Amino acid sequence: MYNLVMKDLKLGVSPIFLIMPLLTGALMLIPGWIYFLVPLYFCWITVPNVFAGFKAQNDLIFTTMMPVTKQDMVKARVAVIVILEILHIAIAMIFGAITLRLYPDLIYYFFAPYMGFWGLCLAMLAIFNLIFIPMYYKTAYKYGKAAFASIAAAMLFAGIAQWQGIGNSYVADIFIGAGADNTALQLSILIAGIVIFVAFTAIAYRIGVKRFLKVEAQ
Amino acid sequence: MLALEVRGVTKKYQGFQLKDVSFQLEKGYIMGFIGANGAGKTTTIKSILNMIHIDSGEVRVMGKNMVEHEIDLKQEIGCAFGGIDFYTRSKIKTLTDVIKKFYKKWDDTTYRNYLRRFKLDENKKIAELSTGMKVKFGLALALSHGAKLLILDEPTSGLDPVARDDLLDVFQELVADGEISILFSTHITSDLEKCADYITFIENGQIINSAEKNEFMESYRLLNGNESQLELVKEKLISYKVNSFGFTGLIHSRDFVPSADIKAATPSLEEIMIYFAKKEEETNV
Repeated sequence: MYNLVMKDLKLGVSPIFLIMPLLTGALMLIPGWIYFLVPLYFCWITVPNVFAGFKAQNDLIFTTMMPVTKQDMVKARVAVIVILEILHIAIAMIFGAITLRLYPDLIYYFFAPYMGFWGLCLAMLAIFNLIFIPMYYKTAYKYGKAAFASIAAAMLFAGIAQWQGIGNSYVADIFIGAGADNTALQLSILIAGIVIFVAFTAIAYRIGVKRFLKVEAQ
Repeated sequence: MLALEVRGVTKKYQGFQLKDVSFQLEKGYIMGFIGANGAGKTTTIKSILNMIHIDSGEVRVMGKNMVEHEIDLKQEIGCAFGGIDFYTRSKIKTLTDVIKKFYKKWDDTTYRNYLRRFKLDENKKIAELSTGMKVKFGLALALSHGAKLLILDEPTSGLDPVARDDLLDVFQELVADGEISILFSTHITSDLEKCADYITFIENGQIINSAEKNEFMESYRLLNGNESQLELVKEKLISYKVNSFGFTGLIHSRDFVPSADIKAATPSLEEIMIYFAKKEEETNV
């Protein structure tokens, strides 16, 4: 499994996508922006590019020839996606913390980068994983439909959440109002996001394996 | 001991199927796997490597069932697919560093020796290698992890005659001490005449014959005669071509009764392939 992860990171994932979180994360410095867009850049740019690379370099046949189980192949690929997602979120969180200190008196219209917001981002990526991974493993090389459906679902979640954040005073209060200073509340939303992320990704992995076992390498 | 045993492998696709494919490769020998494009060579090889799910049948490598012991057996198998490239923009060094981690018996000294022997420059990218060099790189990888069975899909296709001959010499050296066995598919039959010990011939998803090379060639006769003689043997010919001098046709040796003026010769592998393909065309018309 470890060897397969290293294989993807050394051969499959271009170094630019490991540095990209720094660039997308820096977008957090834009005051009062729609910060949901920051992790979405991972879905829009990194995922299609990386998976196009796997397809173009015949990664499926390359990996199938090696002494590895199909379960490990899926596990490693999911691990690579998760590593990239965590990089994006973690770096964006750091820039978010800087933003909060840079503009302490800013009035937020969209979600502010408090911990609760990152819980929502993790839930969004959880939805992305839950749709992308199982759809991708129908063939283990075609990524177009899977990327489209999963990105659309992630955007839909972000859109609805942000809409609620603006239109619903209760939600607005939690994320940009009084609730923002309630550390316990913020932390519990973040933890809930982590739990959803872990659970959805684990389910996606299981369905992915089940489908990949039926795939014939080509 | 058998290095490879394929028993009754069947796989149905829309418009094509492998029908009851069976053959055996003894340890320490080279088997040529021939057939026209689309005859089922790559499908058979993918079945052997468990890359596709067969409908029925069994593949045994070194006496062990491939499906049950896939991971262990893949440590002992080296494979190369001609015409399919992987990570072509990476350097040889980078690829090797990744690949060697997967093999328990990886031996760096052996690898260095093969790099020198094949004149491979570690700092070159895969895309910069000639077709022959790519095959040699594949071989160097396979041999450095101690592969006992080499499964090569069209390794010589796309190589110039000198590179092909060079590679065939390498194959023969590899099997010389009886430890390594090679199955290689090709449609360049002259390669097999040079170096194969056994021939397995597949046509339209079915094994036509699998035998020792000379026995294989001698089990057919290539007949030459005039049109009146054609009438005598027509029924028994596998297929034939008519020209202004008479006919040329292929027949099973067992069906041929040496008679008066029909000239009979041992056909080349290419001729066997061509006449079988012609038969296929005729039955499909």
